[in-house]
Amino acid sequence: MEKYPNKMTVCDVSVHYGDKRALGGVSLDIPENQIIALIGASGCGKSTFLRCLNRMNDEISGCRVAGEILLDEQNIYAQNVDPVLMRARVGMVFQKPNPFPKSIFDNIAFGPRIHEITQSEAELKDIVHSALERVGMIDEVKNRLGDSAIGLSSGQQQRICIARAVAIAPEGVLMDEPCSALDPIATAKIEGLIEALAADYTIVIVTHSMQQAARISQRSAFFHLGELIEVDGTSKIFTSPNDPRTENYITGRFG
Amino acid sequence: METKISPRYTDMITRSLKRRHRKETCLRFFGLTSILFGLAFLVILLGNIANNGLSALLQTYVELEVTVPDSALLDAEGKVSEEVAFDTNWDGLVKKGLRAKFPDASGMRERRALDQLVSANAGFDFKTRILHNPELLNQPLTVWFKTSDEVDQYVKGNMNVSVDESQRRLSDQQLAWIDELAASGLLERRFNTSFFTQADSREPESAGILGAAMGSAMAILVMLVLTLPLAVMSAIYLEYFAKPGRVTDFIEVNINNLAAVPSIVFGLLGLAVFLNFFQMPRSAPLVGGMVLSLMTLPTIIIASRAAIRAVPSSIRDAALGLGASNMQAALDHVLPMAMPGVLTGTIIGVAQALGESAPLLMIGMVAFIVDVPTTVTDPATVMPVQIFIWSNSAERAFYEKASLAILFLVLFLIVMNLTAVLLRRHFERHH
Ligand SMILES: Nc1ncnc2c1ncn2[C@@H]1O[C@H](COP(=O)(O)OP(=O)(O)OP(=O)(O)O)[C@@H](O)[C@H]1O
Ligand SMILES: [Mg+2]
Repeated sequence: MEKYPNKMTVCDVSVHYGDKRALGGVSLDIPENQIIALIGASGCGKSTFLRCLNRMNDEISGCRVAGEILLDEQNIYAQNVDPVLMRARVGMVFQKPNPFPKSIFDNIAFGPRIHEITQSEAELKDIVHSALERVGMIDEVKNRLGDSAIGLSSGQQQRICIARAVAIAPEGVLMDEPCSALDPIATAKIEGLIEALAADYTIVIVTHSMQQAARISQRSAFFHLGELIEVDGTSKIFTSPNDPRTENYITGRFG
Repeated sequence: METKISPRYTDMITRSLKRRHRKETCLRFFGLTSILFGLAFLVILLGNIANNGLSALLQTYVELEVTVPDSALLDAEGKVSEEVAFDTNWDGLVKKGLRAKFPDASGMRERRALDQLVSANAGFDFKTRILHNPELLNQPLTVWFKTSDEVDQYVKGNMNVSVDESQRRLSDQQLAWIDELAASGLLERRFNTSFFTQADSREPESAGILGAAMGSAMAILVMLVLTLPLAVMSAIYLEYFAKPGRVTDFIEVNINNLAAVPSIVFGLLGLAVFLNFFQMPRSAPLVGGMVLSLMTLPTIIIASRAAIRAVPSSIRDAALGLGASNMQAALDHVLPMAMPGVLTGTIIGVAQALGESAPLLMIGMVAFIVDVPTTVTDPATVMPVQIFIWSNSAERAFYEKASLAILFLVLFLIVMNLTAVLLRRHFERHH
């Protein structure tokens, strides 16, 4: 297997919600421009782990994160790091499509606007257009950019959310079960889109679908009861996992 | 097995359904009854007030012939002079017109009794009119003058004339005169415009609601300007920024407590702090608005927090996930979606403030003020206080005015609520 430089390195991360430990001692490398899938049974801490990667956990009261997470060699939990900057560098796509109740254009322009990426309306338009192009939606919505994003189908909404995330050109994109609310056709579209995005972004995706993980990811990480059991190349995990728990989960014997 | 059991369950469900439906019908009946009950009382209340008050929309006028000499208005050079007008006995002119109708009236007492038929302000109103129309000088004019409130009440049938002369405010002689005027078509009931263009007056026929309405409007405006941003910011702070802990809990408990404090206490606070300590003007809508904003702040904060909490957290997550700061997420996305709820809370606060009189009494907004306020520091009163003052007056005519003022206040509230509903629709449509 080809060796990729690591975009992010996770060292011994534990997360507590109040007194309850949700995640313990996770260490993991996330290579650049690859797709890594997080799999595991419900409640095992996948979302919790994902939220650590761009400090979204800071917003949950009572949530404490210990350990180190390096993004390009810099600890994102260091004292002098602004979590807002981290979230701009590592974007997030949620399980349920959550477009703002505004126009399609305003949804995608929101990121570039708040980060003051451009002052000119023309440039902003270009950014919005190229973001829509990336998610393959430009022809669908070209003539209705002013319409409310709420009026779109949920598959379209989810792609708008992805376009919104890539419009500020983040280094990584975190996706928490982005296809779980979608039908197979919309899922296929988004999977294709994710694979295409991997050329430019480091992608971490949580999924409950083994097939999806197998189809799109290069690496897979199996979580169980708040612990990382095994992380390896996807084909290795799915054909000859080291840990019996991984095998049980993949073959559907529990979980 | 299964096929045996299911019909038995069906029977049980059918039986229980009957019972449940009966309960539902009962509940519906009770609900409907209480709503009808409430509506009936509202109709009775408003009907009663309207019955008392609507007659105040009309005012009895008497037609008299008057000639104003040049000397009443023009100075030595023949120019219109306010000073000359000030010195002229306008009341005398009006009375002369009245006496001309009843040349038989003789003697001091009888003449004075006759004079009492026209409004004590008739001369003043007449002067204002002539000052603005000097071309009317020196020619016989037929002018409609306001009658006094007693005449007005008598003509409207609000005076009990069966009692002894000494028990009522008009003598038999005066009644005879009025009847004579009415018979010759010189009395007319006309729309009482001055009720909507003037402030309070000692004479019921000249008293108007505009002064109090302006006072109320200004106080509410001041209140809104102060309260709305403060309340919304506090709500956002408490929901999104405040670290949970003792201090936050303490603040929360106290906001809830403040919402329950009797309004007069806020009046006392306003008196002590704004008037006595900061030496702000007494009776001013500015201070009234400040007191009202203290009073409504907790209510609006609580409503705003509820509205903010009702916005799905996914929206805030989306904004934060894009690298928006807490404030940007709150102001750009959460607040617009919470706005309908915030507005509802604000309307409740405004309605509460609009009907409030106790705290305003404490800061002197109960004074007798004859000028319509033009700035927020002018002395003024507010509508509920005006209603209170009028309904406390001895004259029957003021009672009528108070009822009309209540209707006016209700109208004011309806308009406000309507505005709020429209605003809310607007916000709901755009988000
Ligand atoms: N905001 C929270 N407050 C308290 N506990 C939480 C919170 N979020 C998650 N947890 C707990 O942390 C553990 C891991 O939750 P997490 O949401 O990360 O699971 P998950 O693997 O994403 O599950 P799923 O596949 O169902 O999404 C669970 O036991 C959950 O109860
Ligand atoms: Mg999850």
